[in-house]
Amino acid sequence: MAAEPMAARPSDGVSHGRRVITAWLVVSAIATPLVVVLVGPLLPPGNASTQASQQVIDNTVITGIVTPVVCLIFVFFVYALLNFRAPKGGALVDGPPLRNHAGIQIAWMVITSVTVLFLAGFGTYELLQNGAGGGQGPSPVAVPGGKKIAVQVIAQQWEFTYRYPGFGGFESHELVLPEDTYVVLHVTSLDVVHSFWAYELGVKADANPRVDNVAFVRTKAPGMFQVRCAELCGLWHGYMYNNGHVVSADQFHAWVKSQQALYKPIAKYLPGFRREYLPAPVRRGG
Amino acid sequence: MAAARRLIGFNLLTAIVLGIGGWYAGWFGAHAITGPSLDWFSAADYNEVSVFMAYIGGVIGFLAGLGFLNYPFARLRGYPPSLREKETGGWSRYFSLCTDHKVVGIQYLWGIGLFFFIGGLNAMLIRTELLRPAHQVFPAGTYLTIVGMHGTMMMGMMSSGILGPFANYFVPILIGARRMAFPRIEALTFWLLMAAGGILTTTIFFGGFPTGWTGYPPLESQANAGMDCYILFFALVGISMTLLGLNMIATILTMRAPGLTWTRLPIFVWGVISTASLMVLAAPVLIATLGMAAFDRAINTTFFVAGGGGSNYLYQNLFWVFGHPEVYILALPGFAIVLELLPVFSRKPLWGYRLAVAGLLGVTLLSWMVWQHHLFVSGINGDLRPFYMLSTELISIPTGFTFICGMMTIWRGQIRFTVPMLFCLAWFFNFLLGGLSGVFLSDVPSDVTTHGSFFSMAHFHYTIMGGLIFTFFAAVYYWVPKMTGWQLNERLGKIHFWTMFVFFNSTFAPLFALGFMGMPRRVVTYDPSFQFLNDWVSVSAFLLGISMLVFLFNLVWSLAFKKVPAEANPWGSRSIEFQLPSPVPVHNFDRIPVFTDDPYGYGEGPAPQWVVPAGAPAGRE
Amino acid sequence: MSAELASGDAGYEVLEGEPPEVLARNLVTAGYLLAGATAFFFVAFVFAFFYLRSIDSVSQWKPHGVDASIGWGTAIIACWVVSTVLVRLGELDQAADRRPQWRLKGLAALLLGLAGLVLQVVAWTQNGFGPTDGAFASVYVGWTAFLSLFVLLTLFWLETTLATSWRYRNELFGAAEVPAGHASGDPDRTAHDIRNPVDLNRAELAALGFYWTFLAGVAVVAWVILYLVA
Repeated sequence: MAAEPMAARPSDGVSHGRRVITAWLVVSAIATPLVVVLVGPLLPPGNASTQASQQVIDNTVITGIVTPVVCLIFVFFVYALLNFRAPKGGALVDGPPLRNHAGIQIAWMVITSVTVLFLAGFGTYELLQNGAGGGQGPSPVAVPGGKKIAVQVIAQQWEFTYRYPGFGGFESHELVLPEDTYVVLHVTSLDVVHSFWAYELGVKADANPRVDNVAFVRTKAPGMFQVRCAELCGLWHGYMYNNGHVVSADQFHAWVKSQQALYKPIAKYLPGFRREYLPAPVRRGG
Repeated sequence: MAAARRLIGFNLLTAIVLGIGGWYAGWFGAHAITGPSLDWFSAADYNEVSVFMAYIGGVIGFLAGLGFLNYPFARLRGYPPSLREKETGGWSRYFSLCTDHKVVGIQYLWGIGLFFFIGGLNAMLIRTELLRPAHQVFPAGTYLTIVGMHGTMMMGMMSSGILGPFANYFVPILIGARRMAFPRIEALTFWLLMAAGGILTTTIFFGGFPTGWTGYPPLESQANAGMDCYILFFALVGISMTLLGLNMIATILTMRAPGLTWTRLPIFVWGVISTASLMVLAAPVLIATLGMAAFDRAINTTFFVAGGGGSNYLYQNLFWVFGHPEVYILALPGFAIVLELLPVFSRKPLWGYRLAVAGLLGVTLLSWMVWQHHLFVSGINGDLRPFYMLSTELISIPTGFTFICGMMTIWRGQIRFTVPMLFCLAWFFNFLLGGLSGVFLSDVPSDVTTHGSFFSMAHFHYTIMGGLIFTFFAAVYYWVPKMTGWQLNERLGKIHFWTMFVFFNSTFAPLFALGFMGMPRRVVTYDPSFQFLNDWVSVSAFLLGISMLVFLFNLVWSLAFKKVPAEANPWGSRSIEFQLPSPVPVHNFDRIPVFTDDPYGYGEGPAPQWVVPAGAPAGRE
Repeated sequence: MSAELASGDAGYEVLEGEPPEVLARNLVTAGYLLAGATAFFFVAFVFAFFYLRSIDSVSQWKPHGVDASIGWGTAIIACWVVSTVLVRLGELDQAADRRPQWRLKGLAALLLGLAGLVLQVVAWTQNGFGPTDGAFASVYVGWTAFLSLFVLLTLFWLETTLATSWRYRNELFGAAEVPAGHASGDPDRTAHDIRNPVDLNRAELAALGFYWTFLAGVAVVAWVILYLVA
């Protein structure tokens, strides 16, 4: 089969473009609300904290915006692949030599740019409200106002422990937080890089040696949440998880009292509370 | 005599022997300085200096055995440069230093294929371990080594996955040249990559490495000697990538045939330029970073040690300055292949040529400005996060150019559903999902949950496996008949495509859900409630592996047993490589062709002829 | 398929020769690209320098007594800078067909470059600190070590151009013809390869001159940062 000149297939007089755009608009108009209403509530990480709810809104907005995009590509390809097939067998026939269309290019650029800029603007707005639960480093930009209790998360190979500097600085293996309270989490590490991920609370902050990584979270109703390590930290990374609890104010104070009593004998051996601890330098022979 | 000379001459066998010799020379040489050892090999007796020196000695020996040192020594004694080594001859060319760009292309295809297979096997082992929530099959350390080897092998080797085989083979032909600008460097890039692959594989003798493909310190400083193999592997890959990119750009800039202006260049060549420019500039950053890491491990500098004035953020920043261009080194050749093949199988010109080029270059440029989105929750100073969120999302604009150009190219075309075309169409589906899931990761509030989870893992498998590997196979089915002269079986090709497409999606789509549900990456155990989806993924992954075996069977069957000669132009393409005999003769062209048009003039009249009338001067522009 | 493009069975001898300026252009282009790659390589060290200096983790950026001696540093950089000037002057000589003078300048440049390397090794032993003495020491050792490696490889390149010029010292400029297989002894290597090593010598010198100047520029930046800023 040589690439000899072929007659282009004559136009069949149908406005394919109008059909595709109409189909896309119809499909998007149906699909987008459906996706937002049906899929939106399933999106993570849930409703256990202000930050988590905010992330759900963010995820829902993004899903809602990408749905028409997915619809466009799908409608386009279904239509194109069904309508523009070369007939089986026979000589090769060339399509119409369309090389460009300024209108389509400009429309495409404008639509993608507006979408992208909206997403970036919306993400920034959401981020700056209260930090969205992410670790912001030692000098956070998005600091929510009001009274907060501080909890230090200390990661080491391969467990998290929690220090409560506002309550005598005891260090516990459990993370217990009072309900309806703003919590400042100071995440740090004693050895390698870990990542503190309280899934239901919508908190993730890397734990680095000698770094005080601050994240804010406002708890809601009492309940349980899971804590996992989300940064590969060596041999037992997969086992670095436990559960934390959000409890009522009374239960929280009772728990604090019990912990203070429990850890009293070893309290004097703990190093004084600091934002970060100097780990033994990791050195190997050479 | 000739056979004996072939065996002990400069070839792969000599290279392996000298490589092992060089390894021990380095090992004992280093021990002579750091403290004598007479052990041939003892994991208890190593120190970092000896491990590094051993492998550097091994690489030098390997290259010397292939004959790479002959030329520098000849130059040192004042002999003039020569461009060719061992271009004619039989099968032995494929196992030695050969400067024919077509031989190097085929060497790359099989060499990369071998390591792709090993990397894929590692993936199968990972999925075996994850069949049950509790850890069971492998010890935890072995599991992490498997995870790390899978990631490192794939990222390192497949960076040259399309540029290695297909750009080396076809760029000179597409631009009307007889050779690459630097043929010996071209061969060097391949053999360096093979040496690197060998080094990474031997990490298992040194206890493996626990860090995954990112190699973050301090875990990296803590790891045992297997980590050195990772460092040397990636440094060698970096050198190979730098040289490959340099060679490609120099070739395209200086060796285009007369009449091949920038707007007549095949879009694949534009993709190669974009990728190569990232390789030339990004890979050196990686080499420097790994140099620092090697110094940290071997001579106790403190670049990344917090207690000694260093910072692990330094590593994370430098690594991702390389690392994000790197993922576009993986993705961009895929864009280019799709745009190159769609006109052939839609029989229409490439729509919006300039927009497509702008898309490729735009991605290239923007990929330098986004790296800190890998550090959104790392605890680094967070002031710049809105900027990185914006720049990351801006990348979807030039990526969108590729989409609209591809879509408008098939619009009202005469679409033929050949195997390469199917793989290209699948790219749209995969990259759509991969790209849109990237929007979640680029948005800081959403990233807080998805970062470091299976969601991001699914995202980059959709973009890299769905973007690169699918187009790699498109290129294989499109070009291998031209490279070897034998047809690939189309029925097996279609079986391969459909099984791969279905099981690829069935493997990776559930991972989005798992990530959303809270499963972190690189774990050996997981919450029992995730077991059903994980089992589903594992079974799909095994079937995906079987679909690769279908491909392997097709390749061996078609090329070694069935041997149906390929037509010169099986696809009716107007591109110049299909106007040459299959396989392409050793010198490509009798006369340097003259270009009068781009290769996409479907429906615009007769194909260009490229040949100057006899008697006319055959000079260059 | 146009059979005129390639017949499939023709050997090298039927092909038209490659114009020598192709290789010259390749070399100069490669010099620029190599400079780009080198720049990005050392940008990593510049970044490391300023990053680690700004955080000064546990006051270990520059513990007391860690100071690279500016005397040694200046001597090293001066060697390399003078060496590049000599190469550039030699380039002019070569262009004006004064090849003995170019070889003389080239040899001096080579020796100066090597002297700089020797001085660097001496400086490492004389600075009074080692790689383990904090972040500045790390950056200093890493940067100078890799810079020395780059310089060594560039000097190798310089040596090859000198050796080629010397080997063909009796040929008139532009007239040397090399028989097939002369260099590599490879029987497959045929006559239309590189015919004129003297022509090529000039192209190579252009690329090398550019790259060596660039690398000396990197060395000057290193000098400013490691000895003045630090």
